[in-house]
Amino acid sequence: MPVIPFKQAIRQAMVEEMERDESVFLIGEEVGEYNGAYKVSEGMLARFGPRRVLDTPISETGFAGLAIGAAMCGLRPIVEFMSWSFSFVCFDQLMNNAANIRYMSGGQFKLPIVFRGGNGIAHQLAATHSHRVDALYARVPGLIVVAPSTPYDARGLLKTSIRSDDPVIFLESEIVLNETGEVPDAEYTLPLGVADIKRPGSTVTLICWSKMVKLCLNAAAELEADNIHAEVIDLRTLRPLDEQTILESIRKTHRAVIVDEDWPYCGMGAGIMTRIYKKAFDHLDAPIARVCSEDTPVPYSHPLEHAMQPSVEKVIAAVKEVCYV
Amino acid sequence: MAVVNQVQQPTDLPETSLSPQETRNCLRMMMLIRRFEERTYREYTKPGHHIGGFCHLYSGQEAVAVGLAAIYHQGKDYLINGYRDHGHALALGMEPRAAMAELFGRATGCSKGKGGSMHFFQAQLGNLGGHGIVGGHIPLGTGAAFACSYKKNAGVCFTLFGDGALNQGAFNESMNLASLWKLPCIFICENNGVAMGTQVVRSSAENDLAKRGSAYAMPCKNVDGNDIDAVISAAREAADRARAGNGPSYLVMNTYRFRGHSMSDPLQYRTKDELERARQNDPILIYEKRLRSRGIIDDAALQQIEHEVADIVNDAVLFAENSPYPDLSELYTNVLSETYPLQK
Repeated sequence: MPVIPFKQAIRQAMVEEMERDESVFLIGEEVGEYNGAYKVSEGMLARFGPRRVLDTPISETGFAGLAIGAAMCGLRPIVEFMSWSFSFVCFDQLMNNAANIRYMSGGQFKLPIVFRGGNGIAHQLAATHSHRVDALYARVPGLIVVAPSTPYDARGLLKTSIRSDDPVIFLESEIVLNETGEVPDAEYTLPLGVADIKRPGSTVTLICWSKMVKLCLNAAAELEADNIHAEVIDLRTLRPLDEQTILESIRKTHRAVIVDEDWPYCGMGAGIMTRIYKKAFDHLDAPIARVCSEDTPVPYSHPLEHAMQPSVEKVIAAVKEVCYV
Repeated sequence: MAVVNQVQQPTDLPETSLSPQETRNCLRMMMLIRRFEERTYREYTKPGHHIGGFCHLYSGQEAVAVGLAAIYHQGKDYLINGYRDHGHALALGMEPRAAMAELFGRATGCSKGKGGSMHFFQAQLGNLGGHGIVGGHIPLGTGAAFACSYKKNAGVCFTLFGDGALNQGAFNESMNLASLWKLPCIFICENNGVAMGTQVVRSSAENDLAKRGSAYAMPCKNVDGNDIDAVISAAREAADRARAGNGPSYLVMNTYRFRGHSMSDPLQYRTKDELERARQNDPILIYEKRLRSRGIIDDAALQQIEHEVADIVNDAVLFAENSPYPDLSELYTNVLSETYPLQK
């Protein structure tokens, strides 16, 4: 099976869907002539031309809103945000327009649109360019939030996202973009709203997604030395949440650690914990632990930036805490 | 602080190619909207709270909505609007029953009781809605125009907003994008002189609002928004240009709202004198006088129209009152299109 980078898998999905459906187009800053700020859309302008691969001015509100209007009128836009941190400039478009119009109109309009781009802490980009928007959008009814961790998942999930009639927030960790993985040549799609067990185990459940999956797999490998067999659940979709896979795992392991690149307060982990406590409290042998980034803005200096984030060591410590070892 | 029509209006009276029947229909629609809005005011202020929330009335600005509807290509064109949206919805052809029922929060409303006064939608007629955030819908208008251009179907999008929206980034980003890509978008500022309670002179460094579009390489024009013939003529010119692939235009329809910003507005920022002068420029009176002088209507015809629109509005209120509230299960419907897990 070919081994390709995550960003190439994203490109494959976009190219395939644009070949398949004339109403799909790509719009964003530097997606065309520059071939994408992170080279995700490399070669797409040459392939599809300027009608379907549109370079925009630096106008997030203008082009995100334009895409929403186009989606209301039957097109299927893919909007690339150079960084999800820039989506705050057009928060109104996502929160008020993309998420609400179907509901507010009594179901008269569907919003088939994908917003995708780099998310999270990368390499020393400091506070304004390092936001993790996962929980911000995952709490909004009317949106779907997808955050894949592997090239294989990215391609299959993005294809389904483009075919969905709902607005999808598609989060690509800027760190994961260059990581590689096996992706078959043959076309496939993957379901939205279904988690994936990336490593089966019996002692503790590690709940994670996106960039944190690799971290958790590394921690799980090290924990084997202590005879702790961690099950790693990659949520893949944050909204809607695949509760079933989480609960089944906890009924087996009786312990859980949620690993999140975002801040702790009001984060994804808080929402996931509530659901676990509500539906599987009696199955737990220890309080659920959370590993998050520190409750500070993201610093520039490398050692500080590293210390701010979850690490293999922090995950191992949290696992040992819930296992009482 | 008189700001009504402070900008010089074009003086030549434009000819429109409407037939006598069409002009009568325009007058009738303007009268229907006025009657609908004034009745809404009464229903809102009645004890019993039939209508809740924010409610922004269109009385005084009818010439704009009705003029645009007169040149609107149904099935091809789109219209999108801010929150003062009742008049446009009716002018495009929404049943007054569905409009009033929406205000009453009933299941039979145009948005199934989920949108309310600020969110009248009618997909079937290309009405992309009323929108509650000032200026937030303008990019959507460029998007609808983009879709027309992408599909090459010669449709246009009439994108309406108030004078307050000019000071939002969304307006400026949209004007730039639409002109850059020659999108068939007609940007229409309904300048009623005051954004909630803040007059144009207190919010815009440039008081001639047409000039606010001058950086975007498109035709920019002041129009007498109280004169439906002027509205039709300017809008038709802009639409023809857009349909021919020559890009957007920006029209400032200078008009006046007789009522407050919303129902809670005591109108302390206006003088009696100002309102009296505006009443002289009532778009309905202006048009009525013109149609009389052309021999298209007379007292009897006018009286008949008045009876008709009164009956329609009474019927709409009765319909709304007798309609059921949405079933509580409706709370959870229309959030998403798909059922998840989803695989396609």
